[in-house]
Amino acid sequence: MCDRGAQQLCFLIVVLMQVFVCGSVSALENTEIPRTANGRPDFSGIWQAIGTAHYDIEPHASDFGPLVENGAIGAIPGGIGVVVGGEIPYTDEGRAQQEENKATWLENDPVVKCYMPGIPRANYLPFPFQVIQSTDHIVVAYEFASASRIVYLNRPDFEAPILSWMGHSRGHFEDDVLIIDVTDQVADTWLDHAGNHHTDALKVTERYYHAGPNTLIYEATLVDPAVYTEPWTIRFPLYRRLDENMQLLEYKCVEFTEELIYGHLRKGVSSN
Amino acid sequence: MKKVILVMFIFQTISIPSSWVLAQTGSTWEVARTIDGDPDLQGVWENNTITPVERPDVFGNKSFLSDDDIAFLRRRIAEINAAGDDALFGEGVLQAAFSGEITSYDPSTGNYDSQWMAERTIHRRTSQITQPSNGKYPPRTEKAIAAAKALAEHRRDHPADSYTDRPLGERCVSFGAPRLSSGYNSYWQIVQSKETVAIIQEMAHDVRIIPIVPMPHANKNIKLWHGDSRGYWDGDTLVIETTNYSDKSSTSPETDRKVNVEKLTRISETALRYELMSDDPGQFTGSYTREIIFDYTEDDIYEYACHEGNYGMANILSGHRVEEARAAAGLRER
Repeated sequence: MCDRGAQQLCFLIVVLMQVFVCGSVSALENTEIPRTANGRPDFSGIWQAIGTAHYDIEPHASDFGPLVENGAIGAIPGGIGVVVGGEIPYTDEGRAQQEENKATWLENDPVVKCYMPGIPRANYLPFPFQVIQSTDHIVVAYEFASASRIVYLNRPDFEAPILSWMGHSRGHFEDDVLIIDVTDQVADTWLDHAGNHHTDALKVTERYYHAGPNTLIYEATLVDPAVYTEPWTIRFPLYRRLDENMQLLEYKCVEFTEELIYGHLRKGVSSN
Repeated sequence: MKKVILVMFIFQTISIPSSWVLAQTGSTWEVARTIDGDPDLQGVWENNTITPVERPDVFGNKSFLSDDDIAFLRRRIAEINAAGDDALFGEGVLQAAFSGEITSYDPSTGNYDSQWMAERTIHRRTSQITQPSNGKYPPRTEKAIAAAKALAEHRRDHPADSYTDRPLGERCVSFGAPRLSSGYNSYWQIVQSKETVAIIQEMAHDVRIIPIVPMPHANKNIKLWHGDSRGYWDGDTLVIETTNYSDKSSTSPETDRKVNVEKLTRISETALRYELMSDDPGQFTGSYTREIIFDYTEDDIYEYACHEGNYGMANILSGHRVEEARAAAGLRER
């Protein structure tokens, strides 16, 4: 293909064409992925999603917010969606429940009350989270509500002792991809403010892989035959927070919700 | 949380003194290393010690229990557990061992029963406080005494006008960091990466994140419930310095002046020596040092979904409203 005379330049052009043809986002060559001392891809660091999936993971245009007094800062921005294929494959009853949830979300969305967000929602809230990766465990600490989870590596037989808000996470590596199976999550968590939901039979399979030194690709496949007609997947980038001296702060939001939840029970409140 | 095993004799092996003595006499045991070459402190550690924070007067000047003391305590703990009475939090077990009486945390409503408490471990020290040498907290400041008095009066007169009248733990707002109460959800899991140590406090699903690379503390104007921690290795000891506590993180005054230094050293496969040096000038006239031995456990920790399940807060507030209404209507309390 390349004649001897311009071989180097020709070869370079061929390689570049292959890179562009193969797509703009792909796993890095092995030498570029940050690694732990035992050779595994290293996911440690502080990460955050950008976008509006926390409002609605399906594609959506901008829309009114729930509180008139918040004006433009309280309305819902649009989003191209993180659901692969665009629509969640709900059963008819599942879709009806989602629409009912959405109509009453300020009252019923558990995250409004500072309840733990569950998986995958915790990963696309507008708050940073920190991954601390060791050999047998990975800890993920979320700034929102001080939620956290422990990922148990290479313990596929470790069944959840009980249902939990953040689910039970078992992880392993396949080449340079971290795969986490999340099971036994309470039915009470939602997937976004738009009321997307699941039952406690939900199984989430997460995949994390590097797309650059400061970028991950996150995929999660959700299976729940009680509300979805087939498995479906979300996919979006996670960006490393590069601010100097970046650290998680606290968002201990219980304090911010006490009046909302218990205000009507205070002494002297008119309904008492 | 581990369930109490209601058997007639509960003999907790004293794993700590023998390993502690070994550490002192220069045994050949060495702490294993993580893949990054740091001392490996990882695992789940339980703080179920029966050692009280302050030395009870009955121990006088003794810093360590004798063998007779330990035999007595073992027998009394077994008797208390077999009685299956109300749960005894913190130092309640030791007090019951000596007084012969079980004093419930909440005699009016009733309380958890003893099934909810973890088995308690006997360690040799007569107090967690090692400095001052009398095993007791330094004297409190005038301000702290006044604040405690004011708080007690307020709670007596306004036990539940609002959620703000209830303790921070009951509100599921914060259980503090470090949380050092023993015997109930008193489990820590330590996970280490190259640049960070994570200490997960089971109660209440809090991860203390400790960077072990040089990094300045957060700006002094950022005040935090759990403070802001930075760590480094001093030989085989992890040293953690925590500043930036918020005033509201504690009921004692000027908590934003508090500086804690913690030292964690693995002294055997199954024991972690924890030392806290606290300088809290709003509360105490001097600093103090506390030592706790954490014991290794094969158990995993659970999620502690405090706020999500906080029926107690709604019930406490509404219960008081009902009592007030009945009193206003001139009805006798049942």
